[in-house]
Amino acid sequence: MEFKLEAHRIVSISLGKIYNSRVQRGGIKLHKNLLVSLVLRSARQVYLSDPCPGLYLAGPAGTPAPPPQQQPGEPAAGPPAGWGEPPPPAARASWPETEPQPERSSVSDAPRVGDEVPVATVTGVGDVFQGGEADATEAAWSRVEGPRQAAAREAEGTAGGWGVFPEVSRAARRPCGCPLGGEDPPGTPAATPRAACCCAPRPAEDEPPAPPAVCPRKRCAAGVGGGPAGCPAPGSTPLKKPRRNLEQPPSGGEDDDAEEMETGNVANLISIFGSSFSGLLRKSPGGGREEEEGEESGPEAAEPGQICCDKPVLRDMNPWSTAIVAF
Amino acid sequence: MREADTLRPPQLMEVSADIISTVEFNHTGELLATGDKGGRVVIFQREPESKNAPHSQGEYDVYSTFQSHEPEFDYLKSLEIEEKINKIKWLPQQNAAHSLLSTNDKTIKLWKITERDKRPEGYNLKDEEGKLKDLSTVTSLQVPVLKPMDLMVEVSPRRIFANGHTYHINSISVNSDCETYMSADDLRINLWHLAITDRSFNIVDIKPANMEDLTEVITASEFHPHHCNLFVYSSSKGSLRLCDMRAAALCDKHSKLFEEPEDPSNRSFFSEIISSVSDVKFSHSGRYMLTRDYLTVKVWDLNMEARPIETYQVHDYLRSKLCSLYENDCIFDKFECAWNGSDSVIMTGAYNNFFRMFDRNTKRDVTLEASRESSKPRAVLKPRRVCVGGKRRRDDISVDSLDFTKKILHTAWHPAENIIAIAATNNLYIFQDKVPGLVRFPERSGVGFVFCVPVSSSDSPAIC
Repeated sequence: MEFKLEAHRIVSISLGKIYNSRVQRGGIKLHKNLLVSLVLRSARQVYLSDPCPGLYLAGPAGTPAPPPQQQPGEPAAGPPAGWGEPPPPAARASWPETEPQPERSSVSDAPRVGDEVPVATVTGVGDVFQGGEADATEAAWSRVEGPRQAAAREAEGTAGGWGVFPEVSRAARRPCGCPLGGEDPPGTPAATPRAACCCAPRPAEDEPPAPPAVCPRKRCAAGVGGGPAGCPAPGSTPLKKPRRNLEQPPSGGEDDDAEEMETGNVANLISIFGSSFSGLLRKSPGGGREEEEGEESGPEAAEPGQICCDKPVLRDMNPWSTAIVAF
Repeated sequence: MREADTLRPPQLMEVSADIISTVEFNHTGELLATGDKGGRVVIFQREPESKNAPHSQGEYDVYSTFQSHEPEFDYLKSLEIEEKINKIKWLPQQNAAHSLLSTNDKTIKLWKITERDKRPEGYNLKDEEGKLKDLSTVTSLQVPVLKPMDLMVEVSPRRIFANGHTYHINSISVNSDCETYMSADDLRINLWHLAITDRSFNIVDIKPANMEDLTEVITASEFHPHHCNLFVYSSSKGSLRLCDMRAAALCDKHSKLFEEPEDPSNRSFFSEIISSVSDVKFSHSGRYMLTRDYLTVKVWDLNMEARPIETYQVHDYLRSKLCSLYENDCIFDKFECAWNGSDSVIMTGAYNNFFRMFDRNTKRDVTLEASRESSKPRAVLKPRRVCVGGKRRRDDISVDSLDFTKKILHTAWHPAENIIAIAATNNLYIFQDKVPGLVRFPERSGVGFVFCVPVSSSDSPAIC
């Protein structure tokens, strides 16, 4: 669980950085954003892995016992007290809907081999690195994707619930994108920050109301192993809403603040991305969009590489994912 | 040697209100150039040692200040281009004038610095103020003669190399042929001729066809000091590529790839960030390369690609704090590194205004602080220690009380002598070791000193 919280926190921090970089003086710094997107991808990997207590990797500190309290501003030196509980089975039952069982079960505990491991203490090591093949597949697939894709995917994931990652493609989904099997009421003491159901109306956005495909990324990733299968029907309309506040760990006063802040951030990010988005679809320079790859001017003005998808696809995507795609 | 004569506090120059963004000695060490975030360049000149003023021997004084770059606006992309000077590189001196290249994110400029210490006097048609004389008052003719005047340093932009880069320029490097130089941005490296501004050759291009496939960017590059066909560039993945311009016009294919396999026990979310190389420098001999990533400096032998020959931990105690450093953006800080003149000592900066030096021969290292407190008469720079728990000595600093806003990113070492320039935010410290050719590192007991810091009777002027 601590992993997930940590990963969750890192994801939201990374998104904040990506957002802030757009308004930075001097334009987007490609290097920094590339690094942030790599972190996003790693955090997402951990975030998606099934929660399973007792199978954590030793952090560099290597302290055997978790410290009692996780302080803000400190690195994740250990899990908060009392947070080592496995998630209640009820919550777990619904969680796997977002992750296909066949593929994920073997990788349930393990970040992919050789993948980044959050800095956390360990209570048991052993089998963390198992899951070889599935891991490798996923790893291979994930490595192929570019950082923007990864960033987009993370953004989708955190934005709220309809972020269907390719590896979860096989999960059955409702048309609205909610996982089957009922969704957790907000009060469910889910140990994991579960992506909220996306059935609620979209927050007010002044943006193209396109009913997008849930996984627009997959079109770009066509041909990548383990990729695009299982996109929901294009006609589906995954609506978004801000993530609900996450369940608080018993110890986490600070965590409270962190989660609330994240939720607020996400809602803001959605609206902000949405509202400043129109320039991209116009593909005109006046939009003020600062995609780093879109900085070709003059000699390379005609370069198509700036936008990974065709325009019609873009128009079909919802603003959030499109923004990240463009980014 | 009398200590009183040889000890001075470090020269502390408040260069400007802006943060210093680059520091560079010229090839003789006589001149020291700094660039700042406001686009200004300040050049210091070393005073010649003289018997008349023994206490100011070898001090650096301001020689010239000029505005190199101004903020610009790219209307096409609605982007502001920062005026911050990213790098300054001196050209080898070929005549009485000095020349340097300075660059911001997009434009490189060649500046010529000339001295004027004489002026003609005795014109026939003009008077001293330059007004035309009444011809009726001119009764005789004279030949104008050159009379000495107060030294005036004139700086003029001789070349402007613009529109060569789509992405942000991170480094420039002058070739040993003294005719060409290269500039590198995140994805491309261009080769310019110093006399030609309207075109450049692209020699490295790592931009993928689909930007989604982007996995690494160029972070630094440098020409080999002796072989004009060789250059190296570092990447955000921690690898170095040595390229030979004789092999092909486009040097995408490297001649040598220097890469160290990652230690899997150290993996974290931030492994990729901390392995990104922030600076690469050839040794003066040309045999080695020095690289800096977030936590270490590494020495590579050009003849061995598999791994560095030496690795030094700069501040390994930060390894457990990477998450916080990611939050406050410190993990993205780009530290530079430097060789001393004989390639026996390497130096790099850290946080809390600390900088570190590693002696490659004795394997000893030292941490020093650039602070105003060291400006006392007969002061020596005291080695500092960061304690990570366990027993703490009296003057140790604990990791948690490090000031991460005080970072030393830019350092430079005089090409021949033990003089170092340390940029601490908007202050420039110049430390000199008057004991010739010797840098001492503390023994295990912790007693010792590194630099004898010279003492002067007058304060250095503050320059704005």
